[in-house]
Amino acid sequence: MNHNHIPTEQEEQVAAEANAVFAEQIKHFKNACGALQDIESNLTTIGNEAFKTALLSPGRTIQTDDGTEWRHGLDLSNITSICHRRTEAGLEFAIVECLSLPSGEQKEVLNSGHNVRDVLRDFLNDQKQVLNLWKDDVKEQVKEHLDKNYPRQDMGIVVESFEIKMSRAVSEIRSLAQNQSHGIRI
Amino acid sequence: MPAERLAYSIQEAADLLGIHYYTMYRLIQRQKIKTCRVLRGKLLVPRVELVKLLQTDLK
Repeated sequence: MNHNHIPTEQEEQVAAEANAVFAEQIKHFKNACGALQDIESNLTTIGNEAFKTALLSPGRTIQTDDGTEWRHGLDLSNITSICHRRTEAGLEFAIVECLSLPSGEQKEVLNSGHNVRDVLRDFLNDQKQVLNLWKDDVKEQVKEHLDKNYPRQDMGIVVESFEIKMSRAVSEIRSLAQNQSHGIRI
Repeated sequence: MPAERLAYSIQEAADLLGIHYYTMYRLIQRQKIKTCRVLRGKLLVPRVELVKLLQTDLK
């Protein structure tokens, strides 16, 4: 990456055009990062709330695709929720995803365990991997778009600007988590 | 689904399945859907993977 390169007028125009083309996807990406950041920054509160709900409210029964039965606790998004069940080893928690596909409804356990905060942390780590997959794919989409519309011109700086923007959104979730863990140590 | 297509972009595949493309990336990360790439390009979902999804569940 050449950090000293000052974008030319044409590169700035191309960047503005590409920003308009990918605006919706970037908006969704940032929203997804924001949603994860909200969970991360409220992890303790959400964990406590899920634990309290599991103790006080039976919740509706959800049978997941692996045949296990869970009780619904808290919604994390419109397709994911924290569920719980009683086992011999105590309360067990799971992040369950309910997806409506043309083949039918899928209910899958994404993460599970006896410590609800660990379950949430595992879920967040998996979702960060999803965001990195998404980020890398957008980068390739931008590259393809630029190669098609500006053939034989080096628009690497425009691609980099997308990568930086998206990486920053993902790393903001990380830095928040780091700040929190430092807080716990104190 | 047009018969001549061998693979679809994430956006196209998501539209065909009626789900958000974020959900597509989640399914890919969990290896519920296999993807391919042309050279080092963007992710593509093979038609056969979509047909499989449309006919069966994801268990």
